[in-house]
Amino acid sequence: MNAIRRREVARRAFAYEINRSTYRFPREDEKSPAYVLTPLGIRVNRVFMVGALLDKEEIKPDSGIWRIRVSDPTSAVYGYVGRFQPDALESLMEIDVPELVAIVGKVRTFEVGARIFVSLRPENISPVESYVRDYWVYETAKHTIERIKAMERKDDEDVKLAWQIYNPNLDEYRAIVKQALLSLKGTVVEGGEEEEEIQEFEEKFEFEEEEWDLSDILRE
Amino acid sequence: MERIEELTNQIVNQFAELGYEINRDEVIKRLKLLLYEFKVPEGEAVRTVRNWIIKEYGIPREKVIEAPLVKIKDITKSGKWVSLKARVVQIWDSSSPSVSQVGLVGDETGMIKFVIWAKSGKNQVEEGKCYLFKNVVTDSFQGRMQINVGRTSDIIEIDEEIPLPPREIEVIGSLVAIQQNSGLIQRCEHCHRVMTKGICPIHGKVRGYDDLRIKGVLDDGDNIYEIILNEDNIKELTGIDLEKAKQIASERLDRNAVLSELKKMILGRYFKVAGVRGGRYLLVEKVEKISGVNADDVDNLLEVLA
Repeated sequence: MNAIRRREVARRAFAYEINRSTYRFPREDEKSPAYVLTPLGIRVNRVFMVGALLDKEEIKPDSGIWRIRVSDPTSAVYGYVGRFQPDALESLMEIDVPELVAIVGKVRTFEVGARIFVSLRPENISPVESYVRDYWVYETAKHTIERIKAMERKDDEDVKLAWQIYNPNLDEYRAIVKQALLSLKGTVVEGGEEEEEIQEFEEKFEFEEEEWDLSDILRE
Repeated sequence: MERIEELTNQIVNQFAELGYEINRDEVIKRLKLLLYEFKVPEGEAVRTVRNWIIKEYGIPREKVIEAPLVKIKDITKSGKWVSLKARVVQIWDSSSPSVSQVGLVGDETGMIKFVIWAKSGKNQVEEGKCYLFKNVVTDSFQGRMQINVGRTSDIIEIDEEIPLPPREIEVIGSLVAIQQNSGLIQRCEHCHRVMTKGICPIHGKVRGYDDLRIKGVLDDGDNIYEIILNEDNIKELTGIDLEKAKQIASERLDRNAVLSELKKMILGRYFKVAGVRGGRYLLVEKVEKISGVNADDVDNLLEVLA
């Protein structure tokens, strides 16, 4: 097969679902795209997300690698931008946080001890208007509801795998979608990820990064 | 050996229909030589034998059978000689000097990519016009069917209105990527191809003229659609037309500044695009920006969750 691989679709999922997508499909070969399985049973390589860019921070002075934190109405997700993502890096440098952004990027996982962390590797980052966020929340809610329905039907291979690996509580996801939709109606969102989780993420990462091969999440 | 029999039958029968009785053994002998000894591809071997018969039996050129007239949806196997009446839907940029033109043709049953090889020496086709593509070869490239126009093919403009398939679709998606050769571009004044650094892939260093276009990827979360936005589309969405684009380029002394400006306005935004799906492209007929979400739509989703 010398066929050019078709471009991967950018899936729509809330950060809450992305952050829990810790199962990584084994790669067929070196060049095949990396997929994670979300708790609601879709294979994801690329995502499109619109949210608030809350933080950007160079992980070490002059490392050229930036950690970002982006939040939608359900939770925040981390991302890493380096020189292998010139477009994303260029726009990131021009953005003052906080700012509403649209991100197209790949989902990456990395292991620290027994824990698996999920992060984004943005390909491009664009500051956008709030109506773009509104439409994204609506659209992502629609896609997530479709996935919840598919999980109930249990007729798809990836869905069956998701039940087996994550055994998700669908009501939890219904509540998340509802929370996101209500945010469009002017309701202030309560909750979010526990502060401890965030701390843990940052500490673990900083602890490990010295010997850690960053190319894993930064490169194709 | 069976294959040789099969090909021989094909050839002999074709000429029999025209009223010529061909010596079978002679055909077999020649096919064997070409296929087994000379390892010539089948298509070439058959063509060579046919040409030999035409000469040998003094068959007038016009009597020689043409490839059968087919509809696009029936083109499913590669290596077949066919003829088709079709409309040129779109001409794409070709970066290869061995290709004269490449693009999309359609009839009422579907669309297919066409390649007119430079060696064919054929006249150029124009978008929107209808042609009889005679004696073209079907081929499969990257898993999709296409037709190749070569030296033995003919392209004849016809005075017929070939309808296109009613495949108008409407997609709401996000513009997730903008590809190379977008923004303020230069086209070759001879062939209108996009030039890179002042060089036309066919005509080399020639004069170019400015144009504004965007090649991008629209993604609705389930599928991707490659779209091309022309100057009119871009002007409608961003207020930047060709004149304005040239002005931006000269003020910043950088043609790429135009693309940066455009990206800032449309990358990551949602658009509703209506158009016809052809090959990997969604041919844009209408495009509008999505600027918000309907409260009723949100309520409907909330009801599903209730």
